[in-house]
Amino acid sequence: MRQYPHWPIHLILLFVSALMLVPFIWVLKTSLSGENIFSYPPALFPRDPHLFYYVDVWYTIPFLRYLVNSAVVSVIVVAANIVFNSMAGYALTRNFPAKRAMILLFLSCMMIPFQVTIIPAYLITKKLALLNSYLGMALPVCSTIICIFVFKASFEAIPKSLIDAARIDGLPEWRIVLRILLPLSKSAIATNVILAFIWSWNNFLWPLVIIRDQEMQTLPLGLSRFLTVVEDTTGALYAFCIMVLLPGLILFLLAQKEFIAGLTTGAAKG
Amino acid sequence: MRNSAMAWLRNRYPLTLGSIAALAISWNIYVALNNDGIITGRAVTTDQQPVGGATVVLSERSLLVAVPKGRATTNEKGEFRFTGHTLHHLYLEAHKEGGGRMPPKEFRLYFKGQNLFLEKPLVLEESK
Repeated sequence: MRQYPHWPIHLILLFVSALMLVPFIWVLKTSLSGENIFSYPPALFPRDPHLFYYVDVWYTIPFLRYLVNSAVVSVIVVAANIVFNSMAGYALTRNFPAKRAMILLFLSCMMIPFQVTIIPAYLITKKLALLNSYLGMALPVCSTIICIFVFKASFEAIPKSLIDAARIDGLPEWRIVLRILLPLSKSAIATNVILAFIWSWNNFLWPLVIIRDQEMQTLPLGLSRFLTVVEDTTGALYAFCIMVLLPGLILFLLAQKEFIAGLTTGAAKG
Repeated sequence: MRNSAMAWLRNRYPLTLGSIAALAISWNIYVALNNDGIITGRAVTTDQQPVGGATVVLSERSLLVAVPKGRATTNEKGEFRFTGHTLHHLYLEAHKEGGGRMPPKEFRLYFKGQNLFLEKPLVLEESK
């Protein structure tokens, strides 16, 4: 078989990667220099960079409070996603009547945007007396269908003989999930953690609808509040964006290997 | 046992999160040691002669106006000192009756109440 040189592909990939990084670099540059997007001549690197816009953000709004709120909601969402999605994913690997219909129902539900269900979601949350609470903010994203299928694909990739052996040894179903399937599905867990975290972290509309108290606001709501407080927004606004982005970015970079493995598990299954 | 602990410490998760925690702790220690709110400096004329008896005004800029937060008078060596300020974005201006003035100069700090020792003196210029 003829071996083609890899460098042209690498060169193209390098160029495309650099191109995709430009908006992020632009945000970073503006957060360090405050240069307006219309400044001329445009520069890729900041002139006279400093960190004072980050300081402004820290003191202009209760950033730490918003950070804690976002973190608490994200932790609830991530934990709930792992528990509920793994249980649902395991159920979908088993045979039961109307399994196919259930999968079709899940898939069709994926096509309904959240905005359509926001009023019933609000009414349910109100009935549960969870308005203006962390749990209320986490509730609609406590289980996501994509992540259920990630777990399903991961569990299906595990040899059935392992599960049969556990069953012969007398392990109940929940312990099979907890002791055998989950430890072998680290990539699916990482995918769940990243996706659930990012969805929860960036969620704007739902917290906007159910949160009344300023002390309960999350970072995306804080961003909109920040825009109403700060007069000269360019540098500080971009600094705020970087501060909001950073936790998700760190999490993704840490778990990207498992994340990609989780998304591709079962992809090559025949 | 020791090897597994070392391997765990070399793992990217504890390494990254531990580094962030260490950075945050170090920064907070630095802040705690340097947030006395002291501002010291000198006021001089354009030919670098110290200006005694000049008034230095410390102010904070709000959305529309500059709000004065403190005043100090320079000694015969032209030195002034503020203590206990709680600002991170401040302005200093100086003036002396018949001795000129310096318009508000912006200073940005990394945290509230950061000690500021001005290396360059405030230069009072004769008004024309």
